[in-house]
Amino acid sequence: MSELKPTNHKAELLLDAVAEGHVAEVLAMESVAGCSTTFDPGWEVDPFGGVASLCQPMEADLYGCSDPCWWPAQVPDTMSTYPGWDAGKPSAPGDWRDLDSVFPKK
Amino acid sequence: MSLVRSLGARPACVAIALSLGLLCNAAAARPLAAAGDLLVTGAKPDRLFVIDAATRTVRAEHRVAGANGQIFTIVISPDQRIAYLLVDRMERILGIDLASGREVFRADLSASDERVKDFFALTVTPDGRELVVYELPTQLKPSEYIVEEPRFAVYRTDAGLAAKPVRSYPAPRRVHLMLMRPNGLSFYAVGFDLYEYDVKTGKLLGTRGIQKWALADHSQPDLLAFWPVTEPTGVFTSPVYSEIKKSDGNVPMTALMSLNLKSGALSYADFEPLSALIFSTVLSPDKKHAYGVYTTLTSIDVEGHRLEKRVPLDHTFYAVNVASDGREIYIGGANCDVGFYDASSLEKRAILKLPGCSDQTLSTLRVIHDR
Repeated sequence: MSELKPTNHKAELLLDAVAEGHVAEVLAMESVAGCSTTFDPGWEVDPFGGVASLCQPMEADLYGCSDPCWWPAQVPDTMSTYPGWDAGKPSAPGDWRDLDSVFPKK
Repeated sequence: MSLVRSLGARPACVAIALSLGLLCNAAAARPLAAAGDLLVTGAKPDRLFVIDAATRTVRAEHRVAGANGQIFTIVISPDQRIAYLLVDRMERILGIDLASGREVFRADLSASDERVKDFFALTVTPDGRELVVYELPTQLKPSEYIVEEPRFAVYRTDAGLAAKPVRSYPAPRRVHLMLMRPNGLSFYAVGFDLYEYDVKTGKLLGTRGIQKWALADHSQPDLLAFWPVTEPTGVFTSPVYSEIKKSDGNVPMTALMSLNLKSGALSYADFEPLSALIFSTVLSPDKKHAYGVYTTLTSIDVEGHRLEKRVPLDHTFYAVNVASDGREIYIGGANCDVGFYDASSLEKRAILKLPGCSDQTLSTLRVIHDR
């Protein structure tokens, strides 16, 4: 570890944990802890390789994706990471213009 | 459901059409949905609706404190008075009295150092005394998450608003649906395979194939089932996708999975080469037809194993149910529309727009009965 330098807060915590002997073994992330359990054909392409069988319109499924953490790379995850993303915006067709972009927390 | 009836009169469809955004088309002049059918659905951020199917009106709109964003799975108590709701980012179970809207049960699954999610799956015993909940626990440490083993946790439904599990036992990963058997001795859990567990001891009683199914010449199947609808038949159905081997290549197929909760009979039957996606299905009261939804509404001949009819829908719907008399199909689970379709022709009869037009976000669409 002496040749590695931390470049962010997480890495600094890791160095502290190493120094204090608290580093646990790496565990597989198989639970719904960060949206890592769902892998389906993509947000933009359906199983037929086209778009005709995607949700129609997108707004009919926007919260169906954000709330169960279905497409975490494409849609903010309100289950764990961005729970307030939909606050005050209960209707995707009516409120989608007010839904903001999200950025990783530092 | 006499208490629900007391909530108010049921005005005629036309009289309240404008105020509720209700579409009443010419077909509504024909016999409507089965008298006494009440639909239960949830909508963002905290609304629980009871809908009179016959008059296409909202019988009750309850604000569910603690829902915190959405209502996912809805499980109805055997006496049809309580709706158990998976809410709060899948970390809380609430029991709501359907007549009054009063909260009568609450189980907060997470603790300060342990986050617990229930990925859609819960079920209630036939005597109404216990809830079985699928729990995915994760320890939240300052710089790491420690994934713990999943479990089934059992709660007493009379435990009030700070319910804690009375027992728990190991569960497999990737369970997303649970179905209680009518004898109350065991329940099914749907995940990679179909598991059956003893309610009291948690003993695994059996495993039958979903991914490990034994259909000749079929590939490993794909099944996604978030909607634990077994009314009115006591049979759960779901679309299942796989490929079959042909001399000139593989052909994607859609099958109907059928699980009889009483007998335990499980079957899979291809009914069409994959031509449209279906997310959830329901079986008609006479068990001769299954109806499926997504961007289309599909009718399946269950005995003949064939596609009967398919019509486009106004938009994606995820949840489907059927009238007690089999004459109408109810659809919901997306946006704020609850649809009423003729079960024979698949023609649209009416769309009820929920007050406030809040999204249902995959919420289960249940049918209970006005008594």
